[in-house]
Amino acid sequence: MNDVLRTAKSCRHYAMCKIDFLGTGLCKSGAEKHYVSFYPQGRMDLYAALAENRIPVTEKCVEIAESCDLCGKCDYQCYFVTEMKPSVVMKALKEHIRLHLENGWEVLTAEKDSILDGLKEIVGDYWATSDRAVALTYSHDPCPVAEARMPEYVIMPCATAEISAVITLLNKHKIPYAVRGNGSSVMGFVMSEGAVIDLGRMKTIDFDEKNWLVKVGAGVAAFDLQKAAAMRGFRVNIAEPSALVCANIMCSGIFSTFSASYGTAADNYIDAEFVGHDGGMFRMSDKSAPNLFAFRKEDSAVPGICSSAYIRLHPVTSDEGAAFVPFESLEPALDFARECAMRRIGLAIGVLGGEYISVFLSPTKKLAAEVKVTFRDKLKIEYLVLVIGDKYALSAIQQMGYHYFDNRMIRTLNLGLPSLTSAKWLDLMDELANEEPFSYLGLKRFPDLAEAALAPSPAQLVRDVDPELRPFFEKLYARPEMTDPVWLNTFRIVSSRMGREKHVVAMIIYLPIDNTLITEINSEFKRIADSYGLKNDYGFITPLDNGKRCVFEYDYYLDHNDPDERTKMQQAMMEAGMMIERYSAETGTVTWIRYVFCQGFSRKESFLYSGAGADK
Amino acid sequence: MTGTKTADDEKHLLTGATGFLGSHIMAGLLSQGKGVVIAGRSSGGESLKERIGRLLTWFGIEHLEGLLEFYETDFLKRRLGLGEDEYETLCGRGLSIIHCASDTSFAEKNRARVMKSNVESLTEILNFAHKSRTRCFHFMSTAYAAGIDSIECPEALVNSAHFTNVYEESKAHAENIVYGRCREGEIPYTILRPSIVYGNSVTGRSLRFNALYYPIRSLQLIRDIYLDDIKNNYGRKSAECGIYMNEDGALHLPIRIFMPHDGTINLIPVDYFTETILSILEKPETETFYHITGNNPERMARLVSYTERFLNIHGIEVVIGTSSAEEMRNPPEELFDHFIKAFRPYISDKRVFMRENTDRATSGALPPDLSYEIFQRCMAFAVSADWGKRFNVLRP
Ligand SMILES: Cc1cc2nc3c(=O)[nH]c(=O)nc-3n(C[C@H](O)[C@H](O)[C@H](O)COP(=O)(O)OP(=O)(O)OC[C@H]3O[C@@H](n4cnc5c(N)ncnc54)[C@H](O)[C@@H]3O)c2cc1C
Ligand SMILES: NC(=O)c1ccc[n+]([C@@H]2O[C@H](COP(=O)([O-])OP(=O)(O)OC[C@H]3O[C@@H](n4cnc5c(N)ncnc54)[C@H](OP(=O)(O)O)[C@@H]3O)[C@@H](O)[C@H]2O)c1
Ligand code: SF4
Repeated sequence: MNDVLRTAKSCRHYAMCKIDFLGTGLCKSGAEKHYVSFYPQGRMDLYAALAENRIPVTEKCVEIAESCDLCGKCDYQCYFVTEMKPSVVMKALKEHIRLHLENGWEVLTAEKDSILDGLKEIVGDYWATSDRAVALTYSHDPCPVAEARMPEYVIMPCATAEISAVITLLNKHKIPYAVRGNGSSVMGFVMSEGAVIDLGRMKTIDFDEKNWLVKVGAGVAAFDLQKAAAMRGFRVNIAEPSALVCANIMCSGIFSTFSASYGTAADNYIDAEFVGHDGGMFRMSDKSAPNLFAFRKEDSAVPGICSSAYIRLHPVTSDEGAAFVPFESLEPALDFARECAMRRIGLAIGVLGGEYISVFLSPTKKLAAEVKVTFRDKLKIEYLVLVIGDKYALSAIQQMGYHYFDNRMIRTLNLGLPSLTSAKWLDLMDELANEEPFSYLGLKRFPDLAEAALAPSPAQLVRDVDPELRPFFEKLYARPEMTDPVWLNTFRIVSSRMGREKHVVAMIIYLPIDNTLITEINSEFKRIADSYGLKNDYGFITPLDNGKRCVFEYDYYLDHNDPDERTKMQQAMMEAGMMIERYSAETGTVTWIRYVFCQGFSRKESFLYSGAGADK
Repeated sequence: MTGTKTADDEKHLLTGATGFLGSHIMAGLLSQGKGVVIAGRSSGGESLKERIGRLLTWFGIEHLEGLLEFYETDFLKRRLGLGEDEYETLCGRGLSIIHCASDTSFAEKNRARVMKSNVESLTEILNFAHKSRTRCFHFMSTAYAAGIDSIECPEALVNSAHFTNVYEESKAHAENIVYGRCREGEIPYTILRPSIVYGNSVTGRSLRFNALYYPIRSLQLIRDIYLDDIKNNYGRKSAECGIYMNEDGALHLPIRIFMPHDGTINLIPVDYFTETILSILEKPETETFYHITGNNPERMARLVSYTERFLNIHGIEVVIGTSSAEEMRNPPEELFDHFIKAFRPYISDKRVFMRENTDRATSGALPPDLSYEIFQRCMAFAVSADWGKRFNVLRP
């Protein structure tokens, strides 16, 4: 496989090129034409399929290739997340089509189709298609347990009434369909051999500040909503920035570090509008509406299409800051996180492991690997508990006797990461740690010394970045928000880096913050992945419901293009699943997220506490 | 000297041989042609024998390995973790015992571990000493087991109620146990109390770089941070705290070292330590405490001037008084103050250690004064060994 094809096939489908998270502006054609096919992600898939002769050149193929003006924005975005530069693929795609046309080879046009005509009548001519090039970009994701499925139709409605009419028509013709947000759930949920309904055009955002809510259309991405909310001085609870908000509630209920105080699942919204599978519309607050607040422990299907949701707004104070409290092992970190949650200290709480910390902070894989070792071996930091809160919360943590990295120290550390990995003076910290761990963080002037020692600067941080992109990244890291832990947690633009080295499969469970149970399950996750030779690591834990429960993510990684790793991952996932089920049965307190998928609108209490119905 | 076996009545059973002082005692005994039975543990994937092998190479006495016997032991287990037969046979040999193993952490957070290693483990070791009718049980303690209650410290059991740290407390506790059990069980014993041991005064070599070395290493690393800043970042951060290059090429690094009161630091070189121990072992007076200490303890002012000269810095000042975070002049001063917190009691020490017993055993041989030449030799060796990071012989 040549490098261009490898890049094309390595797209992780995290949809980060569908949001303007770096302020570069979006891929112009994508923003205009909305189909994923016109975004860098779609072009990567399309090029791979053309290069491997899996689809013919179609009309849309030509349009997709020609609408790319090689501006290069996708390089910045994609490099930020995966260290890939998709523009080489964009060039190759354009070249492929140019040669095809130059040679006068056939360009396939879509055949006449009465169902398609009917769909076009509902959504407008441009917004329904059966073109194979477009279909291809909706046909697969890197999920190791999902088979690719080519849809007959891709439809992009832009109003609830249109969705309703589309569903009625599809039902009439018995055409199965899948509902798609940005497809970044990457679990094979958004494919269908019938139709894919892409909701990406439904981008309305209407604030009702009096009622502390914002009504969002099904096509609004988390990042865009957070941006709009922040401009008005609010915050919303979101997770991945590229996830569409309605999709994310449906899928996983949205859990983030802020879930420690904002909650999850039904806590996130006030009301929502739906189109049922019969094409009928309902609002969740209708007395006669289907009860989506309830939860059943079963694999379920999407209960309808959410066309808009009324999302809760949260207040933000001007004195918010972050504390990263270091720990040498998991158990004291859990104790601290639980205590904060119980005492309602802080808004966001997350027990992070070395993998996340190093990967999120580092602009390259190489640096991330070095930083991970430095944190563990030199700073003796195995876990960091992140707490975001106002000045009272932060001073409470100090009063509890914990030393922490504050905003300033995090900025210093982040911009000075390369010198951190080579810093001899860390040996001193190492020795101090033996006596009184992390006590240096309590020194008033330590931040000054750290600044002298690390000489933090954007230039230093990006010194290993691809030379072509380096000037851009240097400017990027000079922006204060790029090293502000509160902003980074609010907008979450670095978390998709967890899939930078390889695609990530997250194993997620809800359970009590019981140190023994968590340590046991943590080692079981590790044992299973190790036995298949898969890269794996602890992800994060966030307390829920005042620390009575938590959400725990453990990550398995695979090269999704390697058939051998796919097979191993399938087996590992099955074994891990069985392990979770066993703990679930034994404890009665462990819930696998698998059952929450498609029931994310339910009340968290109904799946956190089995007595409340999770087992019914 | 050849590595042939010697008779059991010449042999010693030694614990802690994988440590700084224990290894020097081992090397000293081997060099006298005496057999040593090593009781210790494997670590980091290396067997006890492999660990000792590396130490023999460091001492340049690999050819004496034949004088050694190895027993992998666990002092917290019954029969020291040995098999019944093995234990009985070892007991039957009536060896002299030098118990040098000890957890040397000062940290309160390690209290449980320190107490376990230094106090609890004595039960089985003393059972062994009793059962084997040892010729003599030599217990390696520390001069600082004296505690901080009195200035004058005799070579005798002290009942101090106050200590600087858990390590001292555990050693005092251990002395009491040894004293009590040995008297009760009629086990001949000595208690050996060195002060702070640094490298070899003649060669500068050392295996450990804590105590005397730690503050100098801290200052070197702090110095290098600001030298880097001056070289690579126009000295911006240095200027903020009054740090600059002097015309003579030395770095002006204004750091005050706070000491609660005037005092000294009692240091001895490891060659003197070893010679003294060997003399005591030669003709031990039982039921005797030995202070293996210096007669002319160092003043901080002198160490500071040595350090400045060695590191090519100026501006270090000794200040009598207590410090507070607010008073700290600059970040390096605050950090250094933090670094030396654990050592502060030892650098402004007023205690005087009597040493008649040691004088008798060594015919009055005293440790050499710490001259700049000795200091320089020891520190240069430490730098060349990257303060133990490079060629760490004690750890695999
Ligand atoms: C790197 C990474 C990290 C992640 N971290 C988190 C995290 O911390 N917290 C978290 O909560 N999630 C997390 N996720 C999961 C992911 O963000 C969610 O699954 C989210 O739903 C994806 O949004 P999407 O718009 O791409 O949804 P899609 O993948 O398009 O759809 C997800 C599901 O929702 C259905 N759906 C989509 N839109 C609608 C609608 N309007 N009405 C009804 N059903 C609909 C789809 O059919 C599908 O079943 C992570 C994912 C990745 C890749
Ligand atoms: N160095 C000084 O300046 C100084 C001054 C006064 C008194 N002393 C005393 O001298 C003795 C040796 O000190 P040192 O500087 O040589 O210390 P060291 O280098 O730290 O060595 C300690 C030794 O004790 C062993 N040990 C520690 N804990 C043990 C346990 N739980 N079980 C079995 N073995 C254990 C170690 O074995 P492993 O290698 O297997 O860990 C090592 O061999 C100690 O009793 C100390 O109190 C030292
Ligand atoms: S290079 Fe092409 S695909 Fe990439 S962002 Fe620019 S227009 Fe979009």
